[in-house]
Order: sequence, then C-alpha cells, then structure tokens
Amino acid sequence: MWENRCKIAISGVGYSKATRSADIPLAAHALEAVRGAVADSGLKMEDIDGLATYPELPATGHAEVDGISVVSVNCMMAMLKLPNLTWHIQVGTTNIGGAVQQATNALLAGVCKYAVIWRAMHNPRGTYQNLPGNMAAGASQFTGPYGFGGPGQGMAVAYTRWLEKNHQTRDKMATLAVTQRKHTQHNPHAYFYGTELTREDYFASRMVAYPFCLFDCDIPVQGAVAIVLTAADRARDLKPAPAYLAGYGQRLHFETAGRIGSLSSYMEGGSSSAKLTWERSGFTPKDVDVAQIYDGFSASVIYGLESYGFCKEGEALDFIQDGRIELDGELPLNTFGGSLGTGRIHGLWHIIEGALQASGRAGSRQVKDVNVSFVGASAPIVTGTTFIFVKEPY
Amino acid sequence: MSDWSKVTRPIPVPNEWTKPFWDAAKRESLELQRCQSCGFFQHPPFATCVQCVSVDLKFEPVRGKGTIYAYTIMYHTGDKRFASAVPYASIVVELDDAPGALMAGNLLGSEYTEAKVGRRVEVIFEKLNDDITLPQFRLAGE
Repeated sequence: MWENRCKIAISGVGYSKATRSADIPLAAHALEAVRGAVADSGLKMEDIDGLATYPELPATGHAEVDGISVVSVNCMMAMLKLPNLTWHIQVGTTNIGGAVQQATNALLAGVCKYAVIWRAMHNPRGTYQNLPGNMAAGASQFTGPYGFGGPGQGMAVAYTRWLEKNHQTRDKMATLAVTQRKHTQHNPHAYFYGTELTREDYFASRMVAYPFCLFDCDIPVQGAVAIVLTAADRARDLKPAPAYLAGYGQRLHFETAGRIGSLSSYMEGGSSSAKLTWERSGFTPKDVDVAQIYDGFSASVIYGLESYGFCKEGEALDFIQDGRIELDGELPLNTFGGSLGTGRIHGLWHIIEGALQASGRAGSRQVKDVNVSFVGASAPIVTGTTFIFVKEPY
Repeated sequence: MSDWSKVTRPIPVPNEWTKPFWDAAKRESLELQRCQSCGFFQHPPFATCVQCVSVDLKFEPVRGKGTIYAYTIMYHTGDKRFASAVPYASIVVELDDAPGALMAGNLLGSEYTEAKVGRRVEVIFEKLNDDITLPQFRLAGE
C-alpha cells in the first residue's frame, strides 16, 4: 500500500454556469469556478499558493487564445495575482487527472499548502471539429484521407470491434444514457438538468458515427469546474468534510500515434492505471461503493468497467443492466449525470463527484453508506487516470 | 452506395518515415514497415519496432488481402470535405501478411451496410494526384 494514502484530500469544489454557446470569455467561467471552490472551502483567495490545470482545447481547427478558448496557468496567475503563490504546473501526457496528481505530489513535497485545480472547456462557434485544408500531415496522413475526422470516429471503430467480437448490441447502451440522464436530474449545475431522456428518445435519435447516436456523445458546452486540494490535516480544519485520496494511477501504455481501432490501447491503458490505484489504496473493485467513469463517448464506460476490473471483458453492457448502476444499485455509476449529463467538461467533474460522494456531500443523489469512491477520470486510452477517495482515513 | 465523386480527400503529406509507403502505393504496391530483427510488420510507421525496439526497419511488400478489424459508419456532415458521401464506411483492416498492423481505409464498391467485423477485403488503389495514390479496400472473395 501507498505510504501517502489519505494524506491529501479534496476540500471545496466550484462550478461555473455551463452554457451551450460561448457568450462570455472562458476565463470568466474559470474564475467563477475557482472562486466557488475557494469559497466552498471557507478559504480566502490569498490562501491559495498552488495552481494546476490541463488547458487543452479538444476542438480542432480553432485558434487557442488564452482566456478565450483555453485558460492556462499563466492566464489564471494574471487574473488572480496570488500574493502567496509558490507552485504551479500544466500537464501534457494525461488529461486533467494528471494535474490533480501533480498537485498531490506538490502538496506531499511541501512546496504548497492549498492548490486549486480547474478545467475550463470552450465550445467554439461553428463546427466543433473544424478540419481545415486539403492536406493530411503527420499521423493523420493514414486516417484523414479516409474521412476519419474527429475523435468520435476513433472511438467508434473500437466500439464496433468490441460489439461484434463479443456478439453484443448497441441497444443495451440505452440503459447507460437513460440512467445517467436520470442521475442528472439531481445535479442543478448540469447542462441537461431539467431535460429528461427516455429509451424511445435514445432509439429515435440520429446517428452520428455508428454505433454512436447523438445521446452516446457528450454535448459541447462552455464552462468550468474547480477543486481545492490540500493536506488531510489542513482539510480537516476547513468547512467541508474532506474526501481523502486513498490512491491514484495513470495509464502506462501507449500505442503509436495514428493507430486506430485497437481495443488493446483502451484495455491496457485502463488496466495499467487501475492496477496502480488498487495496489496503492489496498482496495479491490469489490470494495467500491460508487464509481464515476469518464463518458465523453458512452463506449468509454465499457472500456473503463472492464479494464479497471469491475466486470470481465465483453460483459460491460450486460453489467450495466437491471438497475445495477442506479443510485441504490450494486454499483451506482456516474451519479452526477456524467459528461453525458453535464456537457463536455472532461474528467474533473468525475473527480468532484467522486469526492462529494466520499465526503457525503452529494445531496439528493448521495449514495447510502459510501466509504470507497472510485473515479476513472478520462478515457483509458491516451489520457487515462484513476483515483480512489474515501470517507474514513485508514 | 456512398457517393465519393464530390469528396475532397485531404492529400497525405509523406515524411522521412512514411515516404517508402507512399512511393510503393504510387506503383500500386502495398509495402509496410518491417523489423529486420524480429520480422514484425507494423503500421503506422514508427521510429522503432513496436515488438522488439530494433531500429533496423525496412519497407517490404505485403499481399493486399485481409479482414475488416473494425469500422464506423459516418453520418455526421460536420466535415464538409466528406459531407457529400455520408453515410459512408470508414474501416480498419488487418492484413493476412501483417497481423497486428492496422490500416485505415474506406469500403469502396459496396453498400456501407456491408462493413462488418471479420469480412474479407482486398486492397485497391485510388489515384489522388500525380504524386499520391491511396490504398483502399473492397470486399473480396475467398
């Protein structure tokens, strides 16, 4: 087990309003989320001495303008002018989960006391994947000419592979979309709060990239979320109950850029990250009371459930049936609605929900008797990170 | 059947790693990067052998028969270059001669509904301009 388990905790969390279009600069969303997280902790802004983010814009073909389409650490420093700042970082090989992990390491090293981590996501005007030009250079020379444009198609080919190899049908995925939308109705910050989704809606929706229909894809939004991460003994003195970090992991597998359709890139990415997390925390999938698994595209949940060890390969679509992922089910899943419910804010919201469930702060969607709260904070491929938060330090 | 006649395919830009692949395709031959140490074929090309980390890699001809490993049917018209062809099948092919190497393509000459995992395909060549010819796939007999 990890000697640093339960030495770091998530304290406050914050949200901006999530809107479909970019009405105000993204920096304003990030600022609202960061201020919210600091206030939720009962801290003052001048207490914050660490900053971390992952500022990537997943929409391609749009300019990255700091403060407008991304919010970098530099942008946040310029806005906040923190008088006591001692540490900051932006990560590259992992998504926002990597920023949380690096902030954890910085806190353990004693180079900062209260770190804020935010994820701000821009929804550009016009087509999200605005693939320009008539040339395909780099890794895209082997995919672009065939109309493999956005990440959705890359995920979709692996999904057909999974479905047909395992003799499964995409109809079963309706359960995930409908159940998560039900959970969304308990999350007033979510984009789809107040909008129901039925099985009939799922089956009637337009196809985007088969096997993905519209409701298998998270809707692009403009918004931000943030957390305050600090040492456990400091977190205990703050306003909210701490969610103790019991262990984390990151994917240790990468297949060459431009290789698509391979299930192994998801399975080995996810299992390598989860293995570290189980070993460090001392828990197993059977100990988990509630799970958040990244769902930018619905099929990510399949790869997560299987590669993290919650069920066997080929069984995930059966695993999610029969009420198992409901709030009172055997493994309540994406209890905040997931990205399919909140809109595309990437994995920090999964981490927030993992923390809220562990600290008993999830309101009307709180799962009963949670101690062990699992998070797969991004797709197991390329950017995968995993976490376990607990209510009781051990 | 998908109408490809109005599609503007982005033209591949060969680099020092990938030029032999495109030179061969121009001659309507399929050549993949092969490790001279362990014999493994890989695609896309990479700096080292993905099996044994050897840097001794050469392009060698492979036969163009294989099976559909995975596919997707594109319905979204966001990419205007391809909008006129939707719905169309983008496929991933595993060649008989290069197990483990995965090549992208489109399923040409058949309805997009014919794309299924495990179906037999063979390479054909689509000339894009005087410099670039694109390997593509169609359904094959046995």
